[in-house]
Amino acid sequence: MSTQKNETNENHIDMNTNNIIEIQNVTKRFPVGETEFTALSNINLKIEKGEFTGLIGPSGSGKTTLLNLIGALDIPSEGEILISGKNVAVKSDAKSALLRNEHIGFIFQSYNLLPVYSIFENVEFPLLLQKKSKAERKEAVMQALEWVGLSDIANKKPSQISGGQAQRVAIARSIVKKPDIVLADEPTANLDSTNAYKIMDILKKLNEELGITFMFSSHDSKVIEYLRRVITLEDGKVKNDETK
Amino acid sequence: MDTLYNIGLSFRLAFRNIISSGLRTWLTITTLSLAFVMILFFNSMYTGWEYQGIRDQVNWEFAQGQVIHPDYDKLDPFTIESGHGKYEKDAHLTPVLIRQANIYPDGRMVPILLKGIPADQQIVELPTQLLKESKANIPALIGLGMAQDNNLKVGDTILMRWKDKNGTFDAQNITIAGIFETNVPTIDAGQIWIDLNRMNQLTGLQQEATYLLADAEYNQTTNASWNYQDKEALLKEFYELIELKRGGSSFLYGILMLIALIAIFDSQVFSVFKRQKEIGTYIALGFTKKRVTFLFTLEGTMYAFIATVVGSIIAIPLLSWLHEVGIPMTSNVDQSRKMGITVGEYIYPLLTPELFSKTVFWVVILSAVISYLPVRKIAKMNTVDALKGKK
Ligand SMILES: Nc1ncnc2c1ncn2[C@@H]1O[C@H](COP(=O)(O)OP(=O)(O)O)[C@@H](O)[C@H]1O
Ligand SMILES: [Mg+2]
Repeated sequence: MSTQKNETNENHIDMNTNNIIEIQNVTKRFPVGETEFTALSNINLKIEKGEFTGLIGPSGSGKTTLLNLIGALDIPSEGEILISGKNVAVKSDAKSALLRNEHIGFIFQSYNLLPVYSIFENVEFPLLLQKKSKAERKEAVMQALEWVGLSDIANKKPSQISGGQAQRVAIARSIVKKPDIVLADEPTANLDSTNAYKIMDILKKLNEELGITFMFSSHDSKVIEYLRRVITLEDGKVKNDETK
Repeated sequence: MDTLYNIGLSFRLAFRNIISSGLRTWLTITTLSLAFVMILFFNSMYTGWEYQGIRDQVNWEFAQGQVIHPDYDKLDPFTIESGHGKYEKDAHLTPVLIRQANIYPDGRMVPILLKGIPADQQIVELPTQLLKESKANIPALIGLGMAQDNNLKVGDTILMRWKDKNGTFDAQNITIAGIFETNVPTIDAGQIWIDLNRMNQLTGLQQEATYLLADAEYNQTTNASWNYQDKEALLKEFYELIELKRGGSSFLYGILMLIALIAIFDSQVFSVFKRQKEIGTYIALGFTKKRVTFLFTLEGTMYAFIATVVGSIIAIPLLSWLHEVGIPMTSNVDQSRKMGITVGEYIYPLLTPELFSKTVFWVVILSAVISYLPVRKIAKMNTVDALKGKK
């Protein structure tokens, strides 16, 4: 695990490589009682900048586990995950937090909005950790809300809006900081098909117009329709990898 | 700068989180503010009492210090007989001579302490000029307590009997020339003050004293074989008494404080358990675990911040007002004075900046520690598990 060369110039995203995500020989095991369960075994993948890619496969195949590893929310048991050429697993708590704050956006199945704050404040949240003036923050938030078509509900609370709207707020929050990658774990699982399509349309547009790399996990056919590259996982292994 | 900005952010978030939580929060804050107000109230009261007591005892009894005859012990009345002697004159010392005597009001025999002090003294507030102004044979001053106990009023004459230096009894009438009112019972109860010159004649003890009252310029060069005690040493017992009372009152607010701290602890345990998904979300959005721990600790500490603000809004005007009007001590005064405790009819609470800042400091620090204990767990939490909101 000697990656000293990658430790220099920590959070500067290297534009020279086209592979924004590189997964090298990644295995993830979870302790289960006395033994261990292998959730991912020897995964190798390269994701290029600007991709719109999904991990699909049955429940329990390891999709969420892999997304969590990419997002530096967890560390692999073996192998390396490189974001723009830098190993995320060896980063300190502070550095991986910074990586998430500046370069990675998350969209969760259950939205994960903060109930105490207004829609505006929820979207603004990631920017609070960055050195941005109030005016800059406001501009970025309003722009993000415009992208998802929710400018008019900025002052509402999460409890006052629908699931479809909540997921759009979560999308706005994930893109407000102009991240390089957005990781979306089953983003449509709690939505009806109208809202699912609406969400996918928005994400597709963000991918095309802002060049954000998207990585999904889903077993929803509505999501799969939109994907340009479909990586099928089964029992923690890549079973198929197909670009349309 | 960066850190400061971040602390400000955490404060804002913690404040938002806490004011959005329910009734329980406000109950905790109310309990904590009540404890805070009580701490300030009782301690200001005792500080006020202490301040008044020091002032009264210095002004009426101790002056800036006393130079005491080596054989005299004020706690042992048997030492009065021999605990006196010749002293060196010093412009900064005022002599007091004590003898035992008896008076006979209404035909009863009442043992008293006869005290001689120069009628022209100004070191203590005893109105000794009345002794000079009186034309009576033996003019005397007594305190209001003494007057009430023995049914005496100004102008009354009563028989007094005492021993002179040879041990033979003498008896003459004394005349009450004045009755003074003081909060210091140890110069009032069972005592009669007369002019020292007159007392020297009556007892034959010329140029003798039991103790000498010192002013601020006394430099301890004269009467070196006597025991000098400065006013702090003389006040030691009084200080101990106040500390004892202070300690007794701490039980009252200690319980409230304990309830509030337990409530804070409890809500922190609850937060860490119930808000795992929120914790995971903070981390996904770029918080470090340290920052989340800090935020949650701050939330718990926010109870103390709000409680001290609310408590101050109540306590500061209340105590300022009571400082003006005083708290009547009527029910306790007589009993306390019989026990020789210096206490006024009114106690004027004194909220000092030191007491205030010390109280705020301790309430906040205690709450911070209590808040931190349950949230330490966040550092060991698995982010992925937290995001799922599972245990
Ligand atoms: N923390 C964990 N401890 C034990 N097993 C886990 C843990 N997280 C996930 N797993 C297991 O790993 C496998 C993959 O899980 P996951 O990545 O959530 O699957 P998917 O998202 O494809 O449904 C599942 O069998 C799951 O039970
Ligand atoms: Mg999953």
